[in-house]
Amino acid sequence: MSIGTGKVRLPDVPIPHPSENVYLPKVAVLDRVVPEIADVKTFYWHFADPAEQEAFKRFRPGQFAQVSLFGVGEFPTSLPPSPTEAETFFTVRQVGSCTTALHQLRPGDQFAVRGPYGNGLSMEDYFGRNLVFVAGGIGLIPLRSCIVYALANRDKYKRIQIYYGAKTPAELMYVPNLREWEQLEGVECYLTVDRADAAWTGNVGVVGSLFKKPGVEVAVEDSIAFVCGPPVMFRFVIKDLLEMGIREQDIVSTLERYMKCGVGKCGHCCIGVAYVCVDGPVFTYEQIKNLGEEI
Amino acid sequence: MKARIVHRSDVLDIVDLLRARGYEVIAPFRVSGRDTCFDTVTDQNRDAIQLHVANPNYPPKRYVLPHIERLLAVKQNGEFKIEPTYEMPKRALFGIRSCDVAGIYHLDRFYLGREFRDVYYENHRKNLFLVNLVCTDPDRDIGNECFCVCTDTGPAARDHFDLQLMDLGDEFLAVAGTAAGEVLFTERIFRPATKEHVERRRAILDATRKRFRKPTTSWFSATVHYISKGDVLEKTWEEIGNRCMECGGCTYVCPACTCFTVSDRRTGPDEIERVRLWDSCALGGFTRMAGGHNPRRAVHDRRNRRFFRKLAHYFIQRELSMACVGCGRCVAVCHGDIGMPAVVEAIRRATGEVAK
Repeated sequence: MSIGTGKVRLPDVPIPHPSENVYLPKVAVLDRVVPEIADVKTFYWHFADPAEQEAFKRFRPGQFAQVSLFGVGEFPTSLPPSPTEAETFFTVRQVGSCTTALHQLRPGDQFAVRGPYGNGLSMEDYFGRNLVFVAGGIGLIPLRSCIVYALANRDKYKRIQIYYGAKTPAELMYVPNLREWEQLEGVECYLTVDRADAAWTGNVGVVGSLFKKPGVEVAVEDSIAFVCGPPVMFRFVIKDLLEMGIREQDIVSTLERYMKCGVGKCGHCCIGVAYVCVDGPVFTYEQIKNLGEEI
Repeated sequence: MKARIVHRSDVLDIVDLLRARGYEVIAPFRVSGRDTCFDTVTDQNRDAIQLHVANPNYPPKRYVLPHIERLLAVKQNGEFKIEPTYEMPKRALFGIRSCDVAGIYHLDRFYLGREFRDVYYENHRKNLFLVNLVCTDPDRDIGNECFCVCTDTGPAARDHFDLQLMDLGDEFLAVAGTAAGEVLFTERIFRPATKEHVERRRAILDATRKRFRKPTTSWFSATVHYISKGDVLEKTWEEIGNRCMECGGCTYVCPACTCFTVSDRRTGPDEIERVRLWDSCALGGFTRMAGGHNPRRAVHDRRNRRFFRKLAHYFIQRELSMACVGCGRCVAVCHGDIGMPAVVEAIRRATGEVAK
């Protein structure tokens, strides 16, 4: 089995010079904070050194970065912006000590970032194909990068479909983006919630229920599916997609693990034969199935 | 490789030569009884260096990958000032066994061989001089736990040392593995070796190989095959896991274990340092994420992990050797008797029966 090769290939991001210290984070400044849903905020930031900012902007969708809150620690986080966008930002849920420290920062405060790391996706490999995005909850964060990249190169792809579900309408992420994608010509964007409120007029049910809705036709032929969400959603969506006829190697997802280094050394993120930080975090379902350990 | 002869009474002069060249020399010493340790050689303890003693339980790995190592010093007054802190010692390890030489070489490939190089490791390794001592004394060198004959790392290392010494009785045969080692041969304590010396070396090695207590303890090839193919039954892993007390001892004494964790700590009112420490996959929190989700909750999943990482063919191919060097330390420290040879044997027996 090949990890980091084939469909999901290693990025062309510059490999650091041998003398470079891969553990050295660079100072970043927080610009502004936008609340998304309860516990989740988007942090817009830039590197204090413009040269660093320029180098970092060469990341590709699906990669991640290590964020340092000195005195607390470091955590890995996916990169929701597309390289085609001007601003750099993270969308982070407050869960542990590091993310709590990040949530307490105010605009102008400093922290530190290193990266980008991981294989990421070569979206150019999918030129001329249909793109099917399936996300649940905050699983939209890593997929946002791919979606925005695809929309910026709209003419290069055939159909673009977005299926997104959250527990309640209040837990839908990136609402301004969702509204925009719903309006966009040439994008099929379907939303659903598990539990509706009074104002909700859309679909109610799990993400998979969207596939069977009248008027919805999932692009199966020559499609590549990007799936990201909680484990239970992941299992059911994969089952649905396979039944519809999408091949295992055409289903792509990103995995998360406890990580310390991000560069394949600390050993925490290993799943079976793969180091999520360097062989992933983007894997095809075919690879995930063969990792040899529970995901 | 060039070979020379050193008289027994001159062999510790090699330590003096290295010290005169500016090396901090680390050598094995006796603590008490069978307890031994690696320590820095000083003028006072130089004569107490032990050539033939039980291999210290605490491996020389800490001289390339310190137990706790500072990565960064951060000053914070309004703005952050991040300074990486490098240590570049000039060290020589004198009298380390062939298994530990193999261990350090394994670490080299892991930390320096992949797409990202580890600068901190490289700095420790750059000026490291390895003097390997071949295990020849069946009573003092070879313990009950040793199984380097099964991992193909001993009793005499074939490569990756700067200088190799082998006890021939009244004399030591010195072999240079690198140019740095060869330079020492210009010193007057080294005399030319004859064909007869080389033949005695071969005879002693043949005899030594037969002196291992349990020469067939570990039939690695069968177990590597079963683990790589995923043939090992869940039940077998559970039985192994049930014996694990989750102390992490095996990983801390292992010369080929590489995992570490990173932690920040305050060193002053506006000062923070980031350190890395050895970590262990035996411990429950090793894979636990911030939300509380732990993909490896069960003990046997974690044991499975350790042996999979060390024995799966995929990793052997990637790092060109097993991450086990046959030193036997895990056997010595494990309270549950699931050191590497016991696990290899258990998997071979249990899986072999099913595979029939």
